[in-house]
Amino acid sequence: MAPRNPQEILIARAPSEPAPAAALPHPDLVAAIPRLRRYARVLTGDPTSADDLVQDALGRAWEKRALWQAGTDLRAWLFTIMHNLFVNQRALARREAGNVSLDAEGESDAAWQLPVRGNQLERVELMQVLQQVGRLPAEQREVLLLAAVEELRYEEIAAVLAIPVGTVMSRLSRARERLRRMAVEAPVPLKAVK
Amino acid sequence: MPELSDADLSACADRQLSPERAADVAAVLAADAALAARVAGIREQNAALRDALDPVLAEPIPDRLLDAARPPDVRAGRRPAAPRWLAPVFAAAATLVLGLAVGWYARDAAIERSGTPTTFARQAAFTHVLYVPDVRRPVEVWAAEEKGLVTWLTKRLGFQVMAPDLNAVGYALVGGRLVAGNESPTAMFMYENADKQRLTLQVRKQPADGGETAFRYALENGVGVFYWIDAGSGYALTGTIDRGQLLAIARVVYGQLAALDAKK
Repeated sequence: MAPRNPQEILIARAPSEPAPAAALPHPDLVAAIPRLRRYARVLTGDPTSADDLVQDALGRAWEKRALWQAGTDLRAWLFTIMHNLFVNQRALARREAGNVSLDAEGESDAAWQLPVRGNQLERVELMQVLQQVGRLPAEQREVLLLAAVEELRYEEIAAVLAIPVGTVMSRLSRARERLRRMAVEAPVPLKAVK
Repeated sequence: MPELSDADLSACADRQLSPERAADVAAVLAADAALAARVAGIREQNAALRDALDPVLAEPIPDRLLDAARPPDVRAGRRPAAPRWLAPVFAAAATLVLGLAVGWYARDAAIERSGTPTTFARQAAFTHVLYVPDVRRPVEVWAAEEKGLVTWLTKRLGFQVMAPDLNAVGYALVGGRLVAGNESPTAMFMYENADKQRLTLQVRKQPADGGETAFRYALENGVGVFYWIDAGSGYALTGTIDRGQLLAIARVVYGQLAALDAKK
């Protein structure tokens, strides 16, 4: 499915016709929303802030729609926008709160309310995986998610995060090694999950 | 044997090695169980992450995000003014008013214009896109009270309506509601399949001498509508699935309605 330019929907509408399509959610954006939400949820660690981030990203995408290049991957572009918003928000929060660096170790997010399905045992294991991911620095978490879950090419990840491919690779290796160590070390005590 | 870096192991686990490099790496891994185990470990990590996070994809999209996916000029314009989708309704109403002022002949012509099946299809598409994305209140009466729903709509429409059973084609009844039509109230039934794909069937009394029509198809801005007139009633089956699928379901609906008519 070739992504359509969000602009097209505006251009294509004949001015004389108050077409309902103008009020319809853009199908390519709607198609991207579930993945944006998933990614945002791991970035922020909580569903409400995640949806706030996705909402901001969609708003920004409409504002900047002239900058989207037709034929390129709309989803990657949306990830880029969301990443930038996230980094800006973190920077702002950091200035307000004082010191915490984006790369700070163990800046574990207060509430991981991520969905986990499966039987009791699986749930505990999956919950644990998410807790461990939550303990990764945000910049490693981003790379790991884009590679392992979103399955973007490393070059695409580099473009989304505006970093060299070599940096993608080193962050990815560090994230994986850290997760591996967490898994073999004493299991993290689980927080109560609603 | 070439040396393997951490990057090679990651790329191998993520299946992102170039074909030439992949052959080299495979040769090394075949000879080194410890390295092979690391690649397997990374794949397990990946699988665990996806298992834990995939359920997010299945969650219904909240209204505020659907709203954010709409073109912003529409969003901005909608708050003070009437919703854009109402404009054609107003236009149809204006046509009627004008028609009354001009005279009976003009009025008849206006009704004919606003009451043609084309308008019905468009109306059905508006109604469809208005209610289908609604997560919490897509319908007024839920399928659990199907009997009451059918009785209520039958009373309001003034003729016997039914909610066809589409379970055989994978769609379960969500519920229904009464919606405004151009000239007559319209009943809307909503259906949903396992992928949360929704269809609506809208039914209304067709103006007299409307005649009967074969299935007609209209694509209203990405929303497909099959509509037909049968025994004084107009039907519109609306959805964003492909035309062939929609037609197949329209045939099922038609067959069930015909069976009901035969019983009368």
